[in-house]
Amino acid sequence: MSADARILAAEPGCHLFPAQGEAGCGFEAPSIGMFFPEPWLGGIPGSDGIDLYLVLLVVALGASLLLWSWFSKKLSLVPGRRQGVGEMFVLFIRDQITRPTMGAKGDKFIPLMTAIFTLIVFMNISGLIPGMLPVNSDLSFPAMFALFIFVLTLVVGMRQQGGWGYIRNQIFPPGMPKPIYVLVTPIETLSVFIIRPVTHALRLFATMFAGSLLLAVFAYGGWYMLSIGAEPALAAVSVLFSGAAVIGYILFFVFEILIMLVQAFIFTLLASLYLNQSLEAAH
Amino acid sequence: MDIAAIEGNLNSIGYGISVIGAGIGVGIVFGLGMQAIARQPEARGPLQTNIFLGFALIEALAILGFVLAFAI
Repeated sequence: MSADARILAAEPGCHLFPAQGEAGCGFEAPSIGMFFPEPWLGGIPGSDGIDLYLVLLVVALGASLLLWSWFSKKLSLVPGRRQGVGEMFVLFIRDQITRPTMGAKGDKFIPLMTAIFTLIVFMNISGLIPGMLPVNSDLSFPAMFALFIFVLTLVVGMRQQGGWGYIRNQIFPPGMPKPIYVLVTPIETLSVFIIRPVTHALRLFATMFAGSLLLAVFAYGGWYMLSIGAEPALAAVSVLFSGAAVIGYILFFVFEILIMLVQAFIFTLLASLYLNQSLEAAH
Repeated sequence: MDIAAIEGNLNSIGYGISVIGAGIGVGIVFGLGMQAIARQPEARGPLQTNIFLGFALIEALAILGFVLAFAI
């Protein structure tokens, strides 16, 4: 099954109540295979080839570049309407994400956090178009984001606190009785250097993956239950069934928009939280 | 069409069980966080930071369950 499974007409003919004189067939729920679209141009060594994800990634990148270059065109001291909206977004990032986590010294990371937030929002939103997938439902994209943040925290931390000083502050949190370190150090090492970056990537991936699978199940089930060709009584019942599925689809569609925005927010917030621990020693 | 037969992967049930704990934990974190902010509104900044740090740590367990559901 390809990514086209989201397009309702992809597998016609199979319905809950079979048409008169036809054998019935079972429901085939959308599977994980939905997230591995066929590459259009394969055979590139070390990659999956050029597929839907890459195109959507380029579109998301272009959209966020366009948005921010449009916002920052002809800047003036007294903002016009367009610049005012752009400044509102930046202020949102500053007041909700970087200031509460890093304080005033994190202000130099506002452009980075704005860029990450915008790009992740666009990469998630692409999943709302029927037949498309959120770019982040392929693990490699959130993994690259998280890897970038992880390397950035290492570099910033080692610059601010010195190479060994940063690692020591992370794995030997100061201000504890000596014997406690036997317990704390392995946990902190595991947490900071393995669990933290891995879950940072997986959180974004898992929510996008599960969300678009859920939407696909509703769309697919609605189409499966709609059996116009059956006997009139059964056809009427099937229209009711698939109406319920369509209502569910719409509700979860709205819910999914919310989830996509919240996950982009949480990813950026956690990124700046992790950066804060490099900026200042634990105390 | 055999309706009574249950097909599928046992891993998803395991994932469901593993999420119970994380769900309770996330509820406690945000519930007590809201309570703390209501009692001390001017401490919202650091409280919010710590709420999200705790949330991230707890949700890591649910995410590990999600990964193991597919990996094993």
